[in-house]
Amino acid sequence: MVCASNSPAMKRYNNRFIAAMLVYVAFLCPAVWLFSHHPPTGLVAYLIAVLPAIPIVAGLAVAGIYLGEEKDEFQRTIFVQSMLWSIGATLTVTTVWGFLEHFLQVAHLELYLLFPMFWFFVGISSLILKARYR
Amino acid sequence: MKNRLRVLRAERNWSQADLAERLEVSRQSVNAIETGKFDPSLPLAFKLARLFETTIEDLFSDEI
Repeated sequence: MVCASNSPAMKRYNNRFIAAMLVYVAFLCPAVWLFSHHPPTGLVAYLIAVLPAIPIVAGLAVAGIYLGEEKDEFQRTIFVQSMLWSIGATLTVTTVWGFLEHFLQVAHLELYLLFPMFWFFVGISSLILKARYR
Repeated sequence: MKNRLRVLRAERNWSQADLAERLEVSRQSVNAIETGKFDPSLPLAFKLARLFETTIEDLFSDEI
């Protein structure tokens, strides 16, 4: 998630996160096209299928680097609290959805959507927490 | 935690932004500490005490 802040660490975090998401798009689009038009097989298929996940995981690493670089302890606290709230919200939504899928056969929730969901909740939590401390 | 930041800051005619710049933190951080919503770490508390030429005990009070 991209955040609005003036700290140099946050600016670096935003740049790195945007770069990771650009790499994600660069990996995902060819992978989707390839699997719909010329499905690869064997080990290559596995490698191409996993490729878009790498920049997504890098997004978490970028968050970790930010926490190491941010000198403002209050901003660090907000970021950590946002992530904790988001973990709770993501686990709640997915658990509830899991039972709905199991008992009521509602639409299947793809696992790769968990990461965008997690960052969405980080964004919401961050806004709420910043408003609370304003 | 209660504190005297607002008073000490006013005595020096510093805005929250001025204090934030001196502490190398964001203005929101100063506001959160000043309003007692966020308790600073010991290193930041020492930094504040040095800046206002006082002690941590004089700045902060754990009385409710």
